[in-house]
Amino acid sequence: MKNIIIILILSVSIFNNAFAGGPWPQPKGKGYFKLSEWWTVFDQHYTDAGLIDPNVTTGIFNTAFYGEYGVTDRLTTILNANLLSRNYMNNLKSMTTQEIIVAGEAIITFGDVDLGIKYGLTKPGKLPVSVSLILGIPSGKVNGGTLGNLATGDGEFNQILQVDTGFGFKIGKHISSYVSGYAAINNRTKEFSEEFRYGIEAGIGLLKNKVWITSKLNVVESFKNGATAENVTSTSIFANNTEFASIAFEANIYVTKNIGVSLGTAGAMRGEIIAAAPSYSVGVFYDMAK
Amino acid sequence: MKLYQLAFIIISLFIFQSCIQDDFVDDMVEPNLRISTPLDTIQLNTDFQFEEMFLNNIGNEVAIEAIWSSSNPAAISITDDGLATANMEGTSTISVTYNDGTNEYQDAIIVTVGATTIINLQVSTGAIATTSSYELTGDFTFEETIEGVKLTFEDNYAASTALPGLYVYLSNNANSVGNAYEIGAVEVFNGAHEYIIPNVDFSDYQYVVYFCKPFNVKVGDGDL
Repeated sequence: MKNIIIILILSVSIFNNAFAGGPWPQPKGKGYFKLSEWWTVFDQHYTDAGLIDPNVTTGIFNTAFYGEYGVTDRLTTILNANLLSRNYMNNLKSMTTQEIIVAGEAIITFGDVDLGIKYGLTKPGKLPVSVSLILGIPSGKVNGGTLGNLATGDGEFNQILQVDTGFGFKIGKHISSYVSGYAAINNRTKEFSEEFRYGIEAGIGLLKNKVWITSKLNVVESFKNGATAENVTSTSIFANNTEFASIAFEANIYVTKNIGVSLGTAGAMRGEIIAAAPSYSVGVFYDMAK
Repeated sequence: MKLYQLAFIIISLFIFQSCIQDDFVDDMVEPNLRISTPLDTIQLNTDFQFEEMFLNNIGNEVAIEAIWSSSNPAAISITDDGLATANMEGTSTISVTYNDGTNEYQDAIIVTVGATTIINLQVSTGAIATTSSYELTGDFTFEETIEGVKLTFEDNYAASTALPGLYVYLSNNANSVGNAYEIGAVEVFNGAHEYIIPNVDFSDYQYVVYFCKPFNVKVGDGDL
């Protein structure tokens, strides 16, 4: 099943690496690496009308590796790999008899992988602008479980072309801050609608930059040019045209010069055919650029 | 970072993996006893076996020991287990009763003794309506045919194309498809269309219900 609810959640994860990313490529030979757990459990979702309806409780857990590495001062390679993805649904039981109506199931597999490159278009001292090409490799499982309703990947090949810009500044004399934004086009295969994605991010460094608090607004708008359940030819179970606007918050705390922990949460403020519940993440990161 | 530290971190992350638990659906309905053989006329000097259907508090059919009776045994006599005999011209109300120890359930039909036995082909009309935020609307006719039952939707039928896996069922519980008859995946989302369903009797089900099967989301229903 092309489970857009899961697809979007998987897709969001790469953009939730708010602390890395932005328009700034990694310096040559430096990198940022993060191992994290990201999860959401939801029993309601946004419908195609943008309203909230219930669904059987569904959980998605991703153990992910995210890495950026500077090949040159302008060219950075990006990897976001869901090393272990788990998707489950609860048992549906009769309140009257306590008997199981539909048995819950779970799958655990390797998830989707995003590979990308980021290239800095501007020289140091200028307003940083970078372009990125991110390829979403459908290495996760689709059509999992007895009903084919579990997935750890979207089963389609994303091609995301993204432009980032932003700038850093000081608040007062000692507090470092930055603001960045991005816009992206996601070209998709397998009759999925293309997407326009954009967002803004802001971060502030506290305690001599040992603690960074970031927030990010992500928006996905569907071109609604793909197939729907009415005209899809590839499968009988199909959802498309998912949209959302989400806000994410993340705290990155350096416990040594290079190593830190991150805590984050994100949730959709509006959406169509997407989970209506917050997601959470915890992780450890290694920042070579410090 | 040493290897054991990395292993500890990974194992710690796995702890967040949650287990399958239980969701509950409020599927209680009023138990219902009905005569499932819609006899209109019974031929003089012949027998006819009546049948009943009892649906329990979740809409599942269960076997019972019902008691049959006739208001006019001179015209139509009937045994406790529903075997009727047409003795002379006239009319009788045929009743079926079941007592589960707590409640008594009853259904009845009026039957005439005539020249030939007539079992009515039944027809009903209704409308489906959404019970969710997804579009579902349309008028329908539900009728008994020689091939089975036929569910015909009118031109004003419309269903959301946004859901993954919209399925249509016949059920005796509007809130559950636990023991429903799955007609199949919805393939028509606008306009007139029909389903011919063999091996199903007109009185077998009370509702047509639409569910998003992958996510067990009820979309809408209609009374048959």
